Amino acid sequence: MRNFYGVIVVGGGHAGAEAASASARAGVRTLLITPDLSRIGQMSCNPAIGGVAKGVVAREVDALGGLMGQATDASRIQFRMLNRSKGPAVWGPRAQCDRALYPLAVRRVLERLELLDLFQDMVSDLIVDKGRVRGVRTPGGLVFGAETVVVTTGTFLRGRIHIGGEQGMDAGRAGEAPSLDLAEGLEGLGLEVARFKTGTPPRIDGRTVDFQKVERQDGDVSNYRFSAYAREPIPEQRPCWITWAGKDLKSVVLENLERSALYGGHISGQGPRYCPSIEDKIVRFPDAPRHQVFLEPEGLETTELYVNGLSTSLPPDVQLEIMRTIPGLEEVVMTKVGYAIEYDYFPPHQLRQTLELKQIEGLYFAGQINGTTGYEEAAGQGIVAGINAALKVRGEKSFVLGRDEAYLGVLIDDLVTKGVDEPYRLFTSRAEFRLLLRQDNAPRRLGLLAKNRGLLTLQQDEALRERLEEENRLLHWFRETNIEPARVEELLSDADSGALHQPVRASELLRRPRVDGRELLSAMGKSVQGQLAEEALIAVEVELKYEGYVRRERERAQRLREQAGFVLSEDLPYLEFLSLSHEAREKLAGVRPATLAQAARIPGVSPADLQNLILEVRRLKSSQGSTLAS
Amino acid sequence: MVRVSGPDAGVLLCRLASDLAEVPEPRRATLVKLQDPDDGSSLDRAVVTFYQGPASYTGENLVELTCHGGRLVPSLIADALMRAGGRQATPGEFTKRAYLRGKLDLVQVEAVADLVEARSRAMHRAALGHLERGLSRRITKLREGIVGLEAMLVHHIDFPEEDDPPVPVTRIVDEASWIIKEIAKMLRTAPEGQLLREGALTVLAGQPNVGKSSLYNALVGEERAIVTEEPGTTRDALEVAVQLGGFPFRLVDTAGLRDGGERIEQLGIEVARRYLDSADLVLLCVSAIDRLSVGELAFLSEATDSPVVLVETKIDLLAKRDVDYGGLGLPVDMREKLAGHLRVSAMTGEGLDQVKQLLPELVYSAVVSAKEEVPVLTRRRHALALEVALSEVSDFTEALADGLPAEVASTHLRAAATALEEILGVISVDDVLDAVFAEFCVGK
Repeated sequence: MRNFYGVIVVGGGHAGAEAASASARAGVRTLLITPDLSRIGQMSCNPAIGGVAKGVVAREVDALGGLMGQATDASRIQFRMLNRSKGPAVWGPRAQCDRALYPLAVRRVLERLELLDLFQDMVSDLIVDKGRVRGVRTPGGLVFGAETVVVTTGTFLRGRIHIGGEQGMDAGRAGEAPSLDLAEGLEGLGLEVARFKTGTPPRIDGRTVDFQKVERQDGDVSNYRFSAYAREPIPEQRPCWITWAGKDLKSVVLENLERSALYGGHISGQGPRYCPSIEDKIVRFPDAPRHQVFLEPEGLETTELYVNGLSTSLPPDVQLEIMRTIPGLEEVVMTKVGYAIEYDYFPPHQLRQTLELKQIEGLYFAGQINGTTGYEEAAGQGIVAGINAALKVRGEKSFVLGRDEAYLGVLIDDLVTKGVDEPYRLFTSRAEFRLLLRQDNAPRRLGLLAKNRGLLTLQQDEALRERLEEENRLLHWFRETNIEPARVEELLSDADSGALHQPVRASELLRRPRVDGRELLSAMGKSVQGQLAEEALIAVEVELKYEGYVRRERERAQRLREQAGFVLSEDLPYLEFLSLSHEAREKLAGVRPATLAQAARIPGVSPADLQNLILEVRRLKSSQGSTLAS
Repeated sequence: MVRVSGPDAGVLLCRLASDLAEVPEPRRATLVKLQDPDDGSSLDRAVVTFYQGPASYTGENLVELTCHGGRLVPSLIADALMRAGGRQATPGEFTKRAYLRGKLDLVQVEAVADLVEARSRAMHRAALGHLERGLSRRITKLREGIVGLEAMLVHHIDFPEEDDPPVPVTRIVDEASWIIKEIAKMLRTAPEGQLLREGALTVLAGQPNVGKSSLYNALVGEERAIVTEEPGTTRDALEVAVQLGGFPFRLVDTAGLRDGGERIEQLGIEVARRYLDSADLVLLCVSAIDRLSVGELAFLSEATDSPVVLVETKIDLLAKRDVDYGGLGLPVDMREKLAGHLRVSAMTGEGLDQVKQLLPELVYSAVVSAKEEVPVLTRRRHALALEVALSEVSDFTEALADGLPAEVASTHLRAAATALEEILGVISVDDVLDAVFAEFCVGK
């Protein structure tokens, strides 16, 4: 432990762990400070990582050198590739994780980083001087100086837990104290603050579940790894279980509705629409005959199950009562109660694309503090904030990903440009360039970017090089190999595809529907051996199979980038641009977009406003130019 | 009328109307005395109306001064307004401001230009329809339909484990086919819609002295084009703009060719070669009292890609000579090639009404049958964008049918939606908008 660090990270959740490890990998002396070191990388809600879009984010974090992929591989006890039946561009890798193993893996990786120190304490205040952050202070009066600080406090800022209709209690998570001083300190810096709420369901004792009455769901048989760089041994696998909440549950919920904190009027914060509590589901979809409930294993060494689908703020006795209406859970014993939590967040339009606050130099926010939800969204912001904090210390250009480069680019641009009116979660539909942002091509998209900025370890560098070489070998083979009709006669008839009459390139053949890359290789006497080759093949196959479409997306992205070339300086007097609508002026002044393309994405800014903006900026330039002439 | 737009429009008015203590109540016509702001001399008594922005044409504060007409009074008032702090509007500036304030979309802006320029009732009607958002609403609805298609696909991509099953592909294809039909229907009016702007090029051809000039004069004389003095109404001296049955035509006077020597000599038919290929309609005039000549028959069989209407002239002579119809000697197979067959007498006026009825039906059939329901595409820009949208949505359904994954196929939907958005408005860093507004030659 030292007195002064390049980067101090406050908080050790998914955002904090990634931020700290990123800045340490980037070669900057880093301190991670958190109230309980044993809870670093804890999964506060469901024991799963990934999913549609989120899985791609986990892969992106990994490609940038982050922890999430490796920790998921080391702790995953079930794996499923969501959307497998759809096209590979929207495949969503998702893992159930052992709640105990995941944080252990995170801790293990963190402790291997030479430049990273860990310290257990609260942070009560930030030291800010002349608009620039200088360090942090603990309740016991310890002071750490820093060039940059990344705050990743999740739901802890003035966190307030609601279980049933009483007043609620102050807590950052169940059983953990909230950060009250820090919340006040941050508000005292003149930042705008708002409230969100989220919730978590009860956990149950697996020994009290009648497994005859629930449906078993096994994972894919697959050695899929989230990490392209590390090869963690994969633990033993476990099933999930599916059951249904029906009309009995509905009537119990309706009878007790006013005892719910949500419906009793005790919660003011806005919650996420797509992760509704069971009360919300019953009230908002009165005609739905039943709602799906997933029982997810909490870990290998425990029978405890997470009841996904029953997030609630009803009192404990009602939680138990509603669970016992569900087939298989008639005799169930609850191990932890579900609860709703309200917390402070700082509306993210106050941030730059680097996640540095516009108002306070050197101060970065990442994770739920910015109004997002989800481990992957938090980790993604954490790594980008950590990288940028480190680059600032190194005196280098910032690291900003475009919307066509990564879901992380979409995430951060959405946050700082559009703001949030409910806890923000990623979807594929938020991305304009879905076909480019795939789980399979994350290493190619982002690995080289990270390597070139010196963000990867030597071992990661080496793994990336091998991976890309393998991809290039395969790409070359498909593009340059001519295939004689006789070699693929059987393959084509099996694929219900027309026979060949003359030799064609393998890449050409691959573009046909139902023609599979691996089979094509094997028809030509080539086999795909080892996980590296398999992963590379998937990436190459998608790239070639949908080449025309992928190229179109790239062209479209390029056009958008040209619009982004119209740069808007940060000090434009938006409020004086009277030709713009009142709403647009206010929004633009709040967001201060970096480019015209970003301005176009701000809700409430119309095409007419944009056209006026162009005219105003030109007018401003010409008037500045002519002042001297007079 | 003189109009002033801008934040200080009301202030400018007060500088000229000294009996006004303050800006008059919005939208109330007020009679005022107008005086020169410098020497106080009287200019006129005028009715003025103040519109408070954004509830005005331009979206800014706006003053309308209804003054006495003539040349001098309005220009004196305009001059006084400029000395009081105003400036002359650039061409199209009022409409440009309305667009930039979000009062009009780009289609409406174009409609204003078309309305000002309209030379036929049909064009006038089309432009007015666009100005009243007929086309914009249609395009907005199509765009919503396309976005809805994508939503149907994407829902199950983003929520694969939800209780609801995916939307069946058949339903998505059904929805898409509705959109395809709708766009195709709109595009049907496009070629004619563009003719509405310029008028259908209609060439009168025929041997010397068959009565082309009489027919031509009868058509031109009765339905004289509305702005014949203005240069550019027709392409050159041979053309005259007319409206027949409310639809615009450009009649080509081939009688003038005799000096130019462009007749197709070997056939003995007078027709400007340079017009023949681009003609939207050819009226081959033949004398009703003669049999078709070798030249006329040859012209009919070779002719052009343009539809040909055979017009028998001088039918008044038939009655005198008591000759039966059918004496032309028109072969049956040629009869089928004709777009129409009319009989007229420029002398008595008989048959002219049928010409005025048939010509619009032939050239503008889609517009005529579209009536009010379908907005007419009068601009190439609109048609091109709709063609892009149509082919993208068609490619989308084909891609789905080929078994391409939904998220791959849906790239076509995004392209289609973008094409439609571009019809309603473009954000351009360069000078696309200036080009649009440059069409205005008056200060509306």
